[in-house]
Amino acid sequence: MKAVPAWLRLWSAYVRWTARWPALAAVVPFVPVVVLWAVVAESGIFPRVFFPGPMEVIRSFGKLMYNGILPAYLEDSVVRLAAGTAVGMALGIPIGLLVGLSDRAHKLLWPILLFFQAIGDIAWLPILLIWFGFGLGTMTFVIVYTVLFPIVLNTALGVRSVPLELHRAAQSLGATRARVVWEVVLPGALPNIVTGLRNGLGYGWRALIAAEMIVGTSGIGFLMFDARRAGSVVEIMLGMIVLGILWYIVDSWVLAPIERATGQRWGLVTR
Amino acid sequence: MGTGDAVKNLTIENLAKTYFDPFAGSQVTAIRDISLEVRAGDFVSVVGPSGCGKTTMLNMIAGFLPASSGQIRVDGRPVSGPGPDRGVVFQSFALFPWRTVLDNVAFGPKMRGIPKEKRHAIAREYLELAGLAHAADRYPNELSGGMQQRVGVVRALANEPDVLLMDEPFASVDAQTRMTLQEELTRIWQERRPTVVFITHDVAEAVFLANRVVVLSKGTVLADVPVPLPRPRTWHDLIEDEGFKSLSAQVLQLVRSA
Repeated sequence: MKAVPAWLRLWSAYVRWTARWPALAAVVPFVPVVVLWAVVAESGIFPRVFFPGPMEVIRSFGKLMYNGILPAYLEDSVVRLAAGTAVGMALGIPIGLLVGLSDRAHKLLWPILLFFQAIGDIAWLPILLIWFGFGLGTMTFVIVYTVLFPIVLNTALGVRSVPLELHRAAQSLGATRARVVWEVVLPGALPNIVTGLRNGLGYGWRALIAAEMIVGTSGIGFLMFDARRAGSVVEIMLGMIVLGILWYIVDSWVLAPIERATGQRWGLVTR
Repeated sequence: MGTGDAVKNLTIENLAKTYFDPFAGSQVTAIRDISLEVRAGDFVSVVGPSGCGKTTMLNMIAGFLPASSGQIRVDGRPVSGPGPDRGVVFQSFALFPWRTVLDNVAFGPKMRGIPKEKRHAIAREYLELAGLAHAADRYPNELSGGMQQRVGVVRALANEPDVLLMDEPFASVDAQTRMTLQEELTRIWQERRPTVVFITHDVAEAVFLANRVVVLSKGTVLADVPVPLPRPRTWHDLIEDEGFKSLSAQVLQLVRSA
């Protein structure tokens, strides 16, 4: 038997380790990225102030955690996003159901929805700043607005993708119109609703950071823009890294488990 | 099925269905004139070439489509929409993918407001009937096509409908499974005696299952053939049976001439 090459044994060890600790699989791909970053920073090609290395960012992370600014800003951003998403879902799912279920509502509302969807989040900021000023009103509006459309459009799509036969089956088993909506249409549309939520959260998160930069008095977006004013590239980089990590956490701790428990479990989505 | 000794007939009188085809720009006649009487506890197969209106007729009995003229009555009550008195088994199974097998079967009783424990007991009883007790907690997508349609049949039966409407229910399962399902259906029918209207394009299937085979052609009843074959029926007994063969040949002639 031929000896197994060392790199293959290494690979096999990696596969086994990541199977035991899945979190490891998310970290390992970043190792070469961080190493490259450190090498470029250490090489002195760019002035250190413009291009700090990983160690400076970690130190800055420690400092901002210690003085409480990062936790506070992080909380502000996450709470804004969560509240905006909750309102966006509370409005978006019923509108999506209506548009998906009623042909008349679809004819009336669809062009309007597409029109306003095109006026992206940031495009609203100038007029919102005049209406609501630099405050929570503007920020909330932008997030709700951004989250709303993907949820409405995907919910309507999901409602319309529920096979006619499932409506009929439920009705001939004695379900009333309202029961059909609750027992058939909503669960049938759920995989699409989750897709809408995923898109909405992604757009909403970006819109929030942009809004915080322009409107903000706190939050990760504000942290980054404030750091720019102070000329602190370290803190800007830290903000960017926090954004990426936070999204990864939302995806793997919130969205992916919902998807596994619904569409994938029921065989409605092929992975 | 049902309670008491009330006769729960299915009566179809001068049924017609025309609809406007916007692409062709003309009226299309799907059903010209159908009159049919199905006695309680009877098993009627409906066969005919494609386009003869058999599925349209079933959809109208189920209440999914309104009649253009004529009337359908179940137990004396005119049909005006879908309802639990007419159970439907679909070709595509139409199981709820987000419900377990048990909860699919318990769906009808749930809509009637039967409490959870009782409706689960009902569902288990019917799953037992179809030899599906072991699959109660699985999801439909984890089952084979044949198993899924067994669930489809008992889900309709568990709601104790006056009439069971079956629309080519075994058309999308493989040939071996289909024979097994047909034998199981005759067994369940003998045990429970539901009133069944069974739509199919398969002549042998129609004769094997039914007490009567109705042949449709161009939207009307072409023939109504009684099937006096003894029960219980199995393919093993009937495949070489002269009576079965001559009846099948007779119905096939009618369908092909239609």
